[in-house]
Amino acid sequence: MLDKIRYFILRALRNMRQWPLLCTASILTMAIALATVATFFLVVVNIEQLALRWTKEIQVIAYLEKIPDPQDLVTLTKKLKAMPEIESVNYVSQTEAMQRFKKHLGADASLLEGVSRDLLPASFELGLRPEYRNQQGINSVVEKLENRLDIDDLRYGQKWLERFNNFAHMLRIVSIILGGFLLFAALFIVSNTIKLTLYARRDELEIMALVGATMRFIKIPFLLEGAIQGLLGGVISLAFLALSFVFILSRILESFWLTPAGFELLFLTLNQQIILVLSGVFLGVLGSLSSLRRFVRI
Amino acid sequence: MIQLYSVTKKYGGDSAAVNDLTLQIGKGEFLYITGASGAGKTTLLRMLYAAEKPTRGQILIDRQNVSRIQSRQIPYLRRKIGVVFQDFKLLQSRTVYENVAFALEAQGKKRYEVSKKVYQAIKEVGLEHRLQRKPLELSGGEQQRIAIARALVVDPLILLADEPSGNLDQEVTFEIMDLFKRANARGTTVLLATHDHSLNQRFPRRVLTLDQGKLVGDQQPPQI
Repeated sequence: MLDKIRYFILRALRNMRQWPLLCTASILTMAIALATVATFFLVVVNIEQLALRWTKEIQVIAYLEKIPDPQDLVTLTKKLKAMPEIESVNYVSQTEAMQRFKKHLGADASLLEGVSRDLLPASFELGLRPEYRNQQGINSVVEKLENRLDIDDLRYGQKWLERFNNFAHMLRIVSIILGGFLLFAALFIVSNTIKLTLYARRDELEIMALVGATMRFIKIPFLLEGAIQGLLGGVISLAFLALSFVFILSRILESFWLTPAGFELLFLTLNQQIILVLSGVFLGVLGSLSSLRRFVRI
Repeated sequence: MIQLYSVTKKYGGDSAAVNDLTLQIGKGEFLYITGASGAGKTTLLRMLYAAEKPTRGQILIDRQNVSRIQSRQIPYLRRKIGVVFQDFKLLQSRTVYENVAFALEAQGKKRYEVSKKVYQAIKEVGLEHRLQRKPLELSGGEQQRIAIARALVVDPLILLADEPSGNLDQEVTFEIMDLFKRANARGTTVLLATHDHSLNQRFPRRVLTLDQGKLVGDQQPPQI
């Protein structure tokens, strides 16, 4: 058994050495195909990450009907903080609201002279936890607030949220379609390259069958060869991706998206890197298998 | 060893490449299959090593029904049959040694067994000094001797040769015939498809003549 495994591995390696050009073509095709798909994946993941950061701006502003006395304010703040959806609570008193308004008006602040500071209502600015920064999360918060507080009005950037939701939805659809297309193109190109390399070696396959080799004996070294080439293709694509991430991709994304300070661009996690390399192995074996089916006739 | 009963092979259309062929070939026989191009010689040989299935009729080889053989049994049938072609069918990227060893490796033989038998087979055809050469570095006659060594290294029951001397001059052809005769003397049944009548004149044996797929002659060698 060990003798056979050794023979198959040696045969696969010897074949690769005997056909260096074909072998390099397969490895590079797989590396480029995988790197293209992975680059696309990285771009999508980073845009999504960036979009998630924008949702930090999402907050619910509850304008109060009555001004709470200091005692009530403390209890109310505690109550609000206890809600699972809420991350931060900021009370804006009438005085503070007026100050903000004045600042907003800038040079025209004099217009407010003589206006009572009671004109503007007090409010709570409520920041949401990341998992609730979406339509459903906001709906549940709004419903709870309406039941618990004497609220005059609730504002939560409905229009902005709607636009953001549309954007996220579009991003997902576009990435699925484009990603699927890229994946399909990668599979197609890899399987055709392998088909070509096997076509060049069809004499070998024919002679093997003629001298009484079994299907398994013919196929295993080719599948192993596909796996080794896929592994190398996967590793090369990972190295290429890492280099292009550091030197090209991160710069493009940074300049194009004007990433906020402190935003770290994401690279593939360790698991994703392993998946990328294993996809190479899978691609190599699958490509060889489908081509062998066509060329090996006993 | 080989029995054919009403074997017909059609490739679509009306005309048959082999037409209602019935014959018996005994163990250890040496015979020629002759006929013009398109007479059905190659088709007959291809059916014998199960590269083609007959459209009708039965083929028995060593008591095994080849006309009903399943794909996964074909490799085991071919291990009993050595095949030699006009165009040698050698692997150009491999050395002489590797080309011959290939047949034994394909049958899953152990390494020490392979090297011993390969050396013997190559020595038998007189090319032991060319072990590490690639086929393209050899003459046509030498390439055909390597192909014969590959066919014989597995000790086949039957040796099929399809125009083995088609690309070779007469002197080399006679050398190759000598190799076939030696294999035959060791008990291998030899079927040689050829349109070269000089072979039968020099090495008289049983001759089957095909014409448009039909057996039109079965001539025994003159008794000495």
